[in-house]
Amino acid sequence: MNEHDDIDGLASEYVLGTLPADERASVAARRQREPALNAAIASWERRLSPLNNAISEIAPPADTFAKVEARLRTRASTRNANVIDLTRSMKRWRAIALTTSALAASLILTLGALQFAPKPKTNNLVAVLQKDAASPAFLVTVNVDDRVMTVRPVAAKHEAGKSFELWIIHDSLGKPKSLGVIDETQPTRGPTLANYKTDVIEGSTYAVTLEPEGGSPSGDPTGPVVFAGKMIGASDF
Amino acid sequence: MAIATAQELSRLLARVAQRDRNAFADVYRATSAKLYGIVLRILKRRDVADEVLQEVYVKIWDRAADFDPKIASPITWMATIARNRALDEVRRKRPESIEDYPELLDVQSGEESALAAVMRGEDGQRLTDCLSRLEEPKRQMVLLAYCDGLSRDELSAKYGQPANTIKTWLRRSLAQLKGCLGS
Repeated sequence: MNEHDDIDGLASEYVLGTLPADERASVAARRQREPALNAAIASWERRLSPLNNAISEIAPPADTFAKVEARLRTRASTRNANVIDLTRSMKRWRAIALTTSALAASLILTLGALQFAPKPKTNNLVAVLQKDAASPAFLVTVNVDDRVMTVRPVAAKHEAGKSFELWIIHDSLGKPKSLGVIDETQPTRGPTLANYKTDVIEGSTYAVTLEPEGGSPSGDPTGPVVFAGKMIGASDF
Repeated sequence: MAIATAQELSRLLARVAQRDRNAFADVYRATSAKLYGIVLRILKRRDVADEVLQEVYVKIWDRAADFDPKIASPITWMATIARNRALDEVRRKRPESIEDYPELLDVQSGEESALAAVMRGEDGQRLTDCLSRLEEPKRQMVLLAYCDGLSRDELSAKYGQPANTIKTWLRRSLAQLKGCLGS
């Protein structure tokens, strides 16, 4: 039996469905990196597909589509499928952010001018949370004196059924700590950082994850990080 | 719209890829009975099949942009997603005795009418013709595996042959089918 026969035999039994679970999983993984195996599987799918006509159609329960839609709204975003979906969303956000990056740059300058220049002694910190340099999504400013944090949306776009949640990440804190759900349409302002030390606030990474509506149900981030940034001291600005 | 043409379904999937929820609802209406039939036949249990069908449509939503009408017909593409998900689910469980599913033993009685349905279309006629050239019980094994999701072990129990023999028979039968189909 030559190698081609072996690949074709494996592909045929994979499509027939008779492989044991471990072999089945192995073939599913291999086809991702072996074009010959993947092509053999596709050919077998085509060859045997008329057999699908032998199977009687059965109407699913009436509420199934509503359940599918509910899954699409609320599914956990850690799943693979969702990461793909998120990647697509990111491309859209990036496109929007590109068109608004000039606006964002001027916003940063304006913030600098309004908040820092007239009051050089005010101890402000700013973090630009972004996916990459071209796409700032949120600006976080912290007045270190009263620990009031303001999060301004720049180009973050609302995802139906999802919320953005802000996290502070610092070695001394252990796990990421939630700073709450942030609004993508208007500034979110509050003494959220009241209990954090200045050096922690200054040295932390700030990350935004995409969570189910209302925020992470567990208190830990469940979705992938979509934007992140570090504090820039006012003097660096 | 219970029956949509391949062309209509391809157009709908292209709209689903653009995140068109109305098109997604149309795809669901046109294909859900077909896909539910496929997953229920493999999984046997309605509660499990209901869950799997929901996951299948989530996958269709996620992967609609990957659908390429040049590679597969839309219903073959969707049926493959449904079969793969159902087979992953049914294989994950401990193999169960064939006696747990007495209805499977009756498959043969309905087989001829089922094969008549396969003959719809040119490809189906050729496949039916080539299947009829397989010896029994090999032909029936291929059908039980593809349509009912029987594993090697389940076929081994049903036909009283070692699983390795079943594997050899299946692979030879499939190679024979491929030779007969000529592509």
